[in-house]
Amino acid sequence: MAKKPALTAEEKVARRRSAKNHFRRYWVLYAMMVVPVIYYIVFKYLPMFGSVLAFRRYRPGMGPFGTEWTLRYWERFLKDPAFWSALRNTVITSVSNLVINFPIPIIFAILLNEVRAKKFKKVVQTISYMPRFISTVVVIAILNELLSPSSGMINQLIVAFGGQPIYFMNQSSWFRPIYILSETWQFTGWTAIIYLAAITSISPDLFEAAEMDGASRLQQIWYVTIPSILPTVMVMLIMNVGHLLSLGFEKILLMYSPANSGVSDIIDTMVYRVGLAQQNYSYATAIGLFSGIIGLILVTTSNAVSKKLTGESIY
Amino acid sequence: MQKRYRTAENIIFDTIVYIVMIFVLIVCLVPFLYMIAVSFSGMKPLVNNEVFLWPKDFTLESYKTIFTYPNFFHAYGNTFIYAFGGTAIALVMTSLFAYPLSKSFLWGNKLITKMVVLTMFFSGGMIPTYLVYSSLGIVGTRAAILMPFAINSFNLIILINFFKGLPVEIEEAALIDGLGYFGILRRIILPLSTAGIATIGLYYAVFFWNDWFNALIYLKGSQYPVMLFLRNIVNGTMAIADGNGSAEKTTMAISLKSAVIITSTVPIITLYPFLQKFFVKGLTIGGVKG
Repeated sequence: MAKKPALTAEEKVARRRSAKNHFRRYWVLYAMMVVPVIYYIVFKYLPMFGSVLAFRRYRPGMGPFGTEWTLRYWERFLKDPAFWSALRNTVITSVSNLVINFPIPIIFAILLNEVRAKKFKKVVQTISYMPRFISTVVVIAILNELLSPSSGMINQLIVAFGGQPIYFMNQSSWFRPIYILSETWQFTGWTAIIYLAAITSISPDLFEAAEMDGASRLQQIWYVTIPSILPTVMVMLIMNVGHLLSLGFEKILLMYSPANSGVSDIIDTMVYRVGLAQQNYSYATAIGLFSGIIGLILVTTSNAVSKKLTGESIY
Repeated sequence: MQKRYRTAENIIFDTIVYIVMIFVLIVCLVPFLYMIAVSFSGMKPLVNNEVFLWPKDFTLESYKTIFTYPNFFHAYGNTFIYAFGGTAIALVMTSLFAYPLSKSFLWGNKLITKMVVLTMFFSGGMIPTYLVYSSLGIVGTRAAILMPFAINSFNLIILINFFKGLPVEIEEAALIDGLGYFGILRRIILPLSTAGIATIGLYYAVFFWNDWFNALIYLKGSQYPVMLFLRNIVNGTMAIADGNGSAEKTTMAISLKSAVIITSTVPIITLYPFLQKFFVKGLTIGGVKG
């Protein structure tokens, strides 16, 4: 901000008068904000300040902010192999999830846009949103039934073709594929909304011109659709990279079992385990704060990159 | 035009597109149809693994069982309380905040918006949040679900952007007619914002309806919603079936589970198609920008 020149006495008076007028006119609008602002302070910012607990010793009954300063929790988690394994699991699972589930909604949106029968297109679209509205508990419950080794549909098919039933939900090698594919199932249709909106905003003249020039449908996609939605794709990619550390914690917690803990223990489940189950509050806060800060760095960096490359930013 | 369109390449392409779309339809629907089939099927075909996408030996037994199961009804009632109460509180709070924040001439507007956006990317984390809520004395009360989620920053930004898009002229006319800002919000802005309100209302309702984790850490057993009830069945914390012999027991558990899945999912699944035209718009205008 540029340095402000000092105000003369008259300017000060004028400013005060206009301030008075401003509040007389708009006090109702300010009054509306009071309760929501208090809400934000109490429910969002107090817990944020509560993160100091990562540097403070917690004693039961002595308030949520701890009693004395210490760095022992940081030393402890940096030396904790469980933490490094959780961090590795988080990164591997989310990178593979990104690689697979980032392109799929784009492809789906492009193909859906090519459906000429309007009614059919609408039906497909509506039904593709459905999984987004289903609770993670239900998703896991359905998976448990479909993949059950004794009665599940998938294993019945495997057995019918002469194979051996597989304990999908209990094997660590199946954990990531199941997590990622169920994400595909849940969110493909939903995420495609954004790409579809970008595609529908492409000027039809472009397609007509391409068709005049004899471009086939596939060529139209390649030379018109994809270049036109590229900015949207970039922004989405960068946003996704920014959220790389935030996996579907609730789903993973539901899929977690001692048998697959080697791959399913991510940072959030570790925080939950150490903090709420073992009540090691300060230690869990330190781990949570660490991943929160990394997440914040990722978001701000990717946003800066996006601003530079595409001129688009998310805040 | 038409003639050029029907080349061999395009016909093959169209066929592939339709095959993909039908595959998507099947993948989205089959798990759900399977659950419906299982929940309405009799015990025998279930034990023999004969049920696929259509109920066999049609029966309402599972539904009768879960509806006479006292905890289920209780949990279902709780879910309704959280979904309706939570959404109502959230809509009031979010509109109350979004309206003044949509007026960029207010002092502090930019700063407050920035503080709101920050909460989308950084939060206190699980443990500090839990400890603050618990020192507020809301843990173990229904307020622990109804209050902390009253404003979701993402929804707030969607509504702010929606309000910003409304024409100012109507408001100015109302001001001249002597209507205050509260009156304008209630009688003019909100009625004009059905699409925006419906969008975020749906998001809130889905959140409250589907939540189980916050219920798990903040609530007591008698306050559990149906999703937590289901989760406890799924991970074996709670057994709901008693039959003769273990095979029948597991089978019965499966059909009961399916019935719980269907009854707890149907309300939200029947709701969203009606709001589709709103949320598609809401999601695209929302595009997180302050």
